[in-house]
Amino acid sequence: MTLLPYLSKRFLASVITLLAVIFLTFAVFFWLTPDPAANICGQTCTPDQIHAIREQLGLNQPFLKQFWAFLAGIFAGRAYGAGATAVQCSAPCIGFSFQSGTNVLTTIISRLPVTISLAAGAAVLWLLVGISGGMISAVKKGTWWDRGAMMVSLGGISLPNYFVALVLQYLLVVKLKLLPFPTLVPFSENPSGWFKAYLMPWIVLALMYAATYARLIRANMLDTMGENFMRTARAKGLAPAPILFRHALRPSLTPVVSLFGVEFATLLGGALITETVFGLSGVGKLAYDAIQSNDQPVIMGVTLVAAFAVIIANLLVDLAYSVLDPRVRVASR
Amino acid sequence: MKLTTAPEPDGRIGAMLSVEGLTVTFPALGSRVIDDINFTIEKGKTIGLVGESGSGKSMTSLAIMGLLPEGAAVEGSVSYWGEQLLGNPDSAMRRLRGDRIAMIFQDPLSSLNPYFTVGFQIAEAYRTHRGGSRRQARGVAVEAMRQVRIPDAERRVDHYPHQFSGGMRQRVMIAMALVCQPDLIIADEPTTALDVTVQAQILTLMSDLQDSTGAGMLFITHDLAVVSDVADSIVVMQRGKTVEQGTAEAIFSWPESDYTRALLAATPRLDDIVDLPEPLRGTR
Amino acid sequence: MAVSLSGTLEGGLADSPEAAGARGRALRTFLRKPSVALSVAYLILIALMAIFAPVLSKITGNDPYSFNETALDAAAGGIPLGHFGGISAQHWFGVEPQKGRDIFIRIAFGARVSMLIAISAMLITTALGVSLGMIAGFFGGRVDQVISRIMDFLMAFPALIFMIAVLSAIPQGNRPLLLVVVLSVFRWPATARIIRGQTMSLANREFVEAARASGADRLKIVFAEVLPNLSGTVIVMATLAVPGFIATEAGLSFLGVGVTPPTPSWGQMIALAVPWYSTDPMFFAIPGMFLFLTVFSFTILGDNLQRWATGATA
Repeated sequence: MTLLPYLSKRFLASVITLLAVIFLTFAVFFWLTPDPAANICGQTCTPDQIHAIREQLGLNQPFLKQFWAFLAGIFAGRAYGAGATAVQCSAPCIGFSFQSGTNVLTTIISRLPVTISLAAGAAVLWLLVGISGGMISAVKKGTWWDRGAMMVSLGGISLPNYFVALVLQYLLVVKLKLLPFPTLVPFSENPSGWFKAYLMPWIVLALMYAATYARLIRANMLDTMGENFMRTARAKGLAPAPILFRHALRPSLTPVVSLFGVEFATLLGGALITETVFGLSGVGKLAYDAIQSNDQPVIMGVTLVAAFAVIIANLLVDLAYSVLDPRVRVASR
Repeated sequence: MKLTTAPEPDGRIGAMLSVEGLTVTFPALGSRVIDDINFTIEKGKTIGLVGESGSGKSMTSLAIMGLLPEGAAVEGSVSYWGEQLLGNPDSAMRRLRGDRIAMIFQDPLSSLNPYFTVGFQIAEAYRTHRGGSRRQARGVAVEAMRQVRIPDAERRVDHYPHQFSGGMRQRVMIAMALVCQPDLIIADEPTTALDVTVQAQILTLMSDLQDSTGAGMLFITHDLAVVSDVADSIVVMQRGKTVEQGTAEAIFSWPESDYTRALLAATPRLDDIVDLPEPLRGTR
Repeated sequence: MAVSLSGTLEGGLADSPEAAGARGRALRTFLRKPSVALSVAYLILIALMAIFAPVLSKITGNDPYSFNETALDAAAGGIPLGHFGGISAQHWFGVEPQKGRDIFIRIAFGARVSMLIAISAMLITTALGVSLGMIAGFFGGRVDQVISRIMDFLMAFPALIFMIAVLSAIPQGNRPLLLVVVLSVFRWPATARIIRGQTMSLANREFVEAARASGADRLKIVFAEVLPNLSGTVIVMATLAVPGFIATEAGLSFLGVGVTPPTPSWGQMIALAVPWYSTDPMFFAIPGMFLFLTVFSFTILGDNLQRWATGATA
C-alpha cells in the first residue's frame, strides 16, 4: 500500500485550508466588528468600563498578537482576562460568549444532536427521492413522466425553503390539522412525537437537494446507459434489473458521493433557515440567535465549526472516492 | 471445470444458425440499414462478415442477438436450431444471450464496466444462466481466464479492466464469451483495436478455442486479411446489401465484384479507394 | 440555497459553422417552447415592474413606506380588513398586518433591489470568472496554479455561513453593495473553473495556434480569439448565476443580514410575515410566489439555454 503519501498530502492540504479559514474568519471579525468590548459590556456601559474590558481581554493588543492568542486557544486552551475574574476556556477553545457566559464550543456541541437528527433524516429522504426519481426519469427518458419530473425538480430547486416551510405549516398544521406544530421531544420518550416534529423540517430541507440529485442522477444514468459496457451486459443475457441496478447505477452514483459528503457536512454547520423557521434549537438556530443579538464569538465559532466539517468532509470524500472508483484507487497507489 | 464441446441438443438437425432475407429498417428515418442478408452457420464453422464501417455488419449481429436500437424494424428470418428468433420476446432472447450465443466486442476497454473486477464480469453470464455461489463463479472465471491464456489468472481475476493491457483485455472479453460454452460466438471486430502482433495472437487463440469447443462463429471485420485464415466462408457487405458470398477460397481466388477486389487490394487503406457512405451511428 | 445544476457544460460547445446554423434555428424553436416563453414573459413583467416602480407608486397612490391604519382591523389585532389579506381596488395585493403598507408597491420596489443586486453580482462574477478562468487556462503554469488554489479554497469554504458572518459583522453601510461584493467573491470560481477548462481545450486549436505563430500578443489572442468562442458558455453561466443570486439575497434578507428595513426586499417581506402565517397567509404567499416564480423562470431559462448551447435536443 503506497496510498499513504497521497493521503498525507491531502491531509496536509486540509490542515492548511483550515488554518487559512481560521485566519480569514478571525481577520474578518477583527476588522469588521466596530468595538467588541462595547459589545460585551452592553448598552449601559460607561467609556471607563469599556476601556477596562478592553484592557482585561487584550482587545487593545495588535492584530497578530490577538490572532496568536486565538490560535493558541484552539490548540492549548486559554484564559480570558486575568486574576479572579478570569474565564477559563480549555482546548480546543474557539471562543467564549460573554453575552451568555458560556463556552462557544460546548454550546455548539450541545446543539449538535438536533442538527444531526434534522440533517440525517433529510438526507435519507432526499437520497431516496432523488435517486429513485432520477433513475425513473432516465429509464423513461423523453416520456411525460420524465418531462414532468424534471420540471418539478427545477421547481424544487427554485423554491426558497422558508417559503415551503410556511406553506406546509399553513396547510398541514393550520388548515388540515394533520400535524401538530413541531415541538421537540426526545426520541427515547416519544418516538412518534419525535418523528412528527421532524417530519416537516425534513421535507423542507430535503426538497431542494432531492431535486438537484434527481437531475444529477438522471444525467449520470443517461451518460452511463450510452456506454459500451451496457451493451456487453445486455449481450450477456442479464435481466433489466441487474443491468440497471448493477451496471448503470453503480457508475452513476459514484460521482454523487462527493457532492453528498460535502453537502451533508455543510448541513452539520447548521441548517440555518430550516432550523429557524421551525424553531429547532440546533446549531443553525444558535447562529441565527447570535446574529440577532450580535453575539460575535458564537457566530465566529459556528463559522469555524462549519468550515471544519466541510474540510473534513472533503478529505473523507477523497478517501471514499479512492475506495469507490477502482480507477482512482489504483492510480493513487 | 473444463470447457468442452457442448452436447448437440436433442432432435435438432440442420443448420445451427440460419439467416434468411434479414432486413432492418428505421421507418422513422426512412433508412434501410440491412437489405436481404442470407447465410447459415454450422457447428464448428466460421462465417466472415466483411465490409467497411457503415455497411451494416454490426447491425446484422445486433439483429441476431435481438439487441437492435429502438425504432428499428426487422424482417426476414433468423433461426437457431430451427427456432425462430425474430419476434421472440426479450425474456426468451435473454436465455440465449450469453449462454448459447455470445458476443465479443471491438473495444474491450469501453466494453468492460470499469467498476467491477474482470472475474466478476467474466462469471456474470455464468451466474445468470447457471446459478451457483460466488466461490464457484470465481473458479469458473479463473478457469476461463486460464483457457484464454491470461497468465497468473488466480491473482488477475480480482483486478479491474484498466489494469490490463489491450490484448489481455480482449482475452478477458473472449473468456467472458466462452464461459457458458456457447454454440455460437459473434465476434464484432475483435482485433481492430489491437496492434498487429497482438492481433495475430488473439486470432490464433480464437481459432484454437473454436477447435476445442466446436462453437460456430460469426466473425465481423472490415479487414479481409484478418478473416482469410479463420473463415470457412465469407459474406461481403456494402451499404447493407450482400455484394458477394461464397467459400473463403472462392472469394480470395476469384473475387467477382469490384468492391471485393478493392477490399482485397487495399487492406491497409480502404478508405482511399472506395467511396464510403456516412458511417452509421448507433451501432457503437 | 444557491442553485446548482448539473454542469454538462464542461464538455464544451459545438462551434462549427453548421452547428452555428443549427443553433440559430434552435434558438427560434427554443423561444417557442411554452415553458421558455412563459418564463421570458414573466421576467419581462418583473423587469417592467422594477423599472417603473415609482410610476406605479404614483398611479396607485401608494408608496412603499407609508402606513395605512384605515386598511386594518384594529379589533382583530391589526390584521388587514377584508378577505385575502386586504386585497382591494386600492391595495391590489393587500396590505401588511399592523402597518398597513401596500404589498404590491413593496413587491415592485423589492424587485428593484433584488434585480439590481442579482444582476450586478452576475456582471461582476462573470467578468471575474471569465477573465481569471481564461488567464489560468491559457497561460497555465504558475499563474494557473495560483488561481486554481484560490478557487479550490473558496469552493471548499462554507460560503453561506461565512456570508452571514461577514454581513452580520458589518451592521451598517451600503447593504446592497455589500451583498453584491459578498455574493461575487464566492461565486466567481464556479464560472472560472468551467471557462478555464474550455480555454485549455481551445488553446490548442488551429486558429489559436495560427494566431500564436503569427506572433500576436498573447493577451490579445486570449481576448480576440478565445473569448468569442466562449460566448455561449458565458451566456449560460451568467443566466444560471442570476437565480442563485436572487435566492441567496432573499435568504440573507430573510435571516436579517441582507437588505435592511425600511428598504423592501422579498426575503425580508417573507420574514416579516412569519409571525402572521396562520392569521394572514397572503402576507407570506404573495412575496413567496413572486420570489419563487422569478427564480423558477430564470432557472428554466438557464436550463434551456444550456441545452441549446451544448446542442442537446429535448
